[in-house]
Amino acid sequence: MSEVTRILNQIEAGDAAAASELLPLVYAELRRLAGHKMQHEIAGHTLQPTALVHEAFLRLVGGNGADKWDNRGHFFSAAAESMRRILIENARRRKSLKRGGDRDRYEILDDDAVIDSQNVDELLDLDAALSKLANEEPELAKLVELRYFAGLSVDQSAQVLGVSPRTVKRNWAFARAWLGRELHLEEDA
Amino acid sequence: MAIDQEKSIFFEALDIDSSSERDAYVEQACEGDANLHVAVVKLLREHERLNNPIDQPLVAGSLSTAPFEERASPSPIRHSLGAMIGPYMLMEQIGEGGFGLVFVANQQSPVRRQVALKIIKPGLESQEVLARFAAERQALAMMDHENIARVFDAGVTDSGQPYFAMELVRGVPLIEFCDNHKLDVYERLQLFISICNAVQHAHQKGIIHRDLKPTNVLVTLQDGRPVPKVIDFGIAKAIGYKLTDNTIYTRFAAMMGTPAYMSPEQAEMSNVDVDTRSDIYSLGVLLYELLTGSTPFTTARLNSVGFDELRRIIREEDPLRPSMRFSTLRSDLATTVSDNRRLEPTTLRSFMKGDLDWIVIKSLDKDRNRRYPSAAALSEDVSRFLHQQPVEARPPSTFYRFSKFARRNKVILSTASLIAAALILGTGVSIWQARVAFDALHRARDAEGKANQAREDLEDFTEKLKQANVLLASGRAYADTGDWSNAHQAYVEAVRLQPRYFYVWMERGALYARLGLWEMAGDDYSKALDLGCPVDGIEFLGVPQLFFYSGDLEAFRQISGAIKKSNNGSVDTKMRSQLVGDLPAEAAAQIAAAADQLIEDRLSPQPGPRRSITRMPLGAMLYIAGWAHLRAGHHDLAIDRLERSYSDTPNWGGRGISFPLLAIAYDQAGRSEDARQAFEQSEILLDAWLKESNEHLHGAPPMPWFDWIEYLMHHREASQLLTGESPNIAAQLAEQKMRAKGAIE
Repeated sequence: MSEVTRILNQIEAGDAAAASELLPLVYAELRRLAGHKMQHEIAGHTLQPTALVHEAFLRLVGGNGADKWDNRGHFFSAAAESMRRILIENARRRKSLKRGGDRDRYEILDDDAVIDSQNVDELLDLDAALSKLANEEPELAKLVELRYFAGLSVDQSAQVLGVSPRTVKRNWAFARAWLGRELHLEEDA
Repeated sequence: MAIDQEKSIFFEALDIDSSSERDAYVEQACEGDANLHVAVVKLLREHERLNNPIDQPLVAGSLSTAPFEERASPSPIRHSLGAMIGPYMLMEQIGEGGFGLVFVANQQSPVRRQVALKIIKPGLESQEVLARFAAERQALAMMDHENIARVFDAGVTDSGQPYFAMELVRGVPLIEFCDNHKLDVYERLQLFISICNAVQHAHQKGIIHRDLKPTNVLVTLQDGRPVPKVIDFGIAKAIGYKLTDNTIYTRFAAMMGTPAYMSPEQAEMSNVDVDTRSDIYSLGVLLYELLTGSTPFTTARLNSVGFDELRRIIREEDPLRPSMRFSTLRSDLATTVSDNRRLEPTTLRSFMKGDLDWIVIKSLDKDRNRRYPSAAALSEDVSRFLHQQPVEARPPSTFYRFSKFARRNKVILSTASLIAAALILGTGVSIWQARVAFDALHRARDAEGKANQAREDLEDFTEKLKQANVLLASGRAYADTGDWSNAHQAYVEAVRLQPRYFYVWMERGALYARLGLWEMAGDDYSKALDLGCPVDGIEFLGVPQLFFYSGDLEAFRQISGAIKKSNNGSVDTKMRSQLVGDLPAEAAAQIAAAADQLIEDRLSPQPGPRRSITRMPLGAMLYIAGWAHLRAGHHDLAIDRLERSYSDTPNWGGRGISFPLLAIAYDQAGRSEDARQAFEQSEILLDAWLKESNEHLHGAPPMPWFDWIEYLMHHREASQLLTGESPNIAAQLAEQKMRAKGAIE
């Protein structure tokens, strides 16, 4: 049994503390995969976070039938959070590099290619807005992470969050509108 | 908390379709709380807005989020009837599509006429749209065809929304018309031919539609005769979804509503130009829907999956042939579909089966080079069908099918393990296997009456073969991650599905061998052999040894004989299988020379073409050379090679397996003390390996299994020679087997 499977089983058995062990493992694997992918992909290729998350799943948990989906939910939750962190870290690094001109160009890591530089500001703004949403409605913020950063479908998100697909769709509409409002505040002013 | 209130009012408001009622509700629900009212109104405005930040992907393919499937809310900016838009007076709203509203409008000048005015939703840069339209305008003006609705003009409203003025067509969308009028298949095909001709006309003028779908083909009755008109030619391009654009998803949602009609190259969203052949694909989808009542990939399915998956389906999945799709319909649906075509379900199915199937499939080919080269060619083939002449479309060839399979599985193919190489061979094998089936088909074709049966058998065969291959690929992926149980399950299922396909047996046998379950592996390999599996490939490395070791000498002789006779295949497999069992000294010397040559080539490569392209590790070469020299009686050379196989190749997976042979070589050279030491070393290693296998590897061999099985053979031989007894490891071996069996359950 893999380390991650063991932790997932512990969480399943009610050991909430185990969840804190999960995130670092998933995070490390995703980072490694992202870096590895960028080294081996043809130049100009972009990464697909969704594919990364699923590959990480196969590596860390090993695919098994849908019967264990509940159990896997924690994995995707951790993966979505990790993916968000990785992308945000990238964005921050890009931004600071940009500010420093090409002084430290050689420091650009392989996985930096994950995002287009033109999206850096948008991404950082979104991240800030999402954190704000998380303060008020953590479940909604989680949903955005799952769908936006891990690419889960409506049905998959519903299973991970333990709600109906209808609720997911409605919550998504609200979170989307809420974030949109948050990000357009300046325009309106 | 405020956000709770906002949320509940927001949700309630979403359920109200009419914008005035909605506004009234929000007003009332906020109970005079002005801040709350402003907040909710803003939320609703954001809901309407097309380009929300989280609809746009950070990274290609990462999104599946824009809620376009449930978006049917009215456009935020209303256009009241009687209002003037440029020279047009809005008279009546006649439609609301994915990208905007459609009105009947009266044009006042320069000519008085009624037009259809399409007003595009906000969110698209209107200047860009106009510029692109201007570029197309000349070409659009040159289109003159009775089955094409003309586009007259484009402009921008006061609120900055682009609009298009088009010939007004009071028609019914294609599929609806056909079903309402219960057109039979011939009538539907006649309509389809007219549509093809219209598209051909446009293509000749250099205009690609890019968004052909039933709602863009309106049918009217003229003198009791149905006349289709294709609308929106040139609009898609003017609205322009630049495929690399960030906002592609937004536009995609706005444009398509449903991706069911999108060609694979459109779904690709790369820089590949979309050309006329994309329209051919969409025509294929139309034809498919005209025949079966549903699109190749159903809208329900496409809407239920994430964006990556959606694109994958469009780009990679082969749709069911129309006749097959029809036979998978629920019986009530099938009856409706047939009723609408005025045929019995069985008649309809057999009608589609064959040529019509192939016409559709050719139009829907993922590779645009293999589609009909033009709408005219497609239209001609349909005419030929109607006139009962042979059609051009043909079932794809075997090679083509399987090369497509290989292409689809590229990712798995490149997982770069030893097994990956086997898959490539496996695909070759599949081609061979399918050839057998195709030969059968050709023979059956001679007897006209049997052709259909043979075709069905073949379809069934290839379908199962495909499924089995998918299972094998997933089995390999599981095995690579050490998930033996799921790997085993996949292989077992593959064997159940396609037991006449030797490859499934061979692969499952390889899994058993990898786990050291020699008897089970032997049974599967035997089965594969019985089915005609070629044995000289790298995937048979170790198999003769396996039979030899487990005492099945009959099978051993059969397989090693076959390997010996083969003129190509893997050097590795060949050399090592010959060295097992009795071997004349001369033959052994030949192998030794060949192995030495391999070593020389590897250590001092000569410029120019390589003589051998084996990927055998150097350690294995030295070991084989040593083993062969030993059998040939060259003790000193044997000792040299075997010692080097240990000392020179620290990274070789089988490092250490030479010790028993080395002990034998020393013994034969009269160096009994060295022999004793080498054997002792082998015993220490054996002990450590067995321990590692049982404690950490679920009983699987601690090295490549073919190295392990030879090692066990050599160690037994050395033990008998030097101590007169077989090694006492039965208990550990039994434990290995038990653990390995446990791992696959």
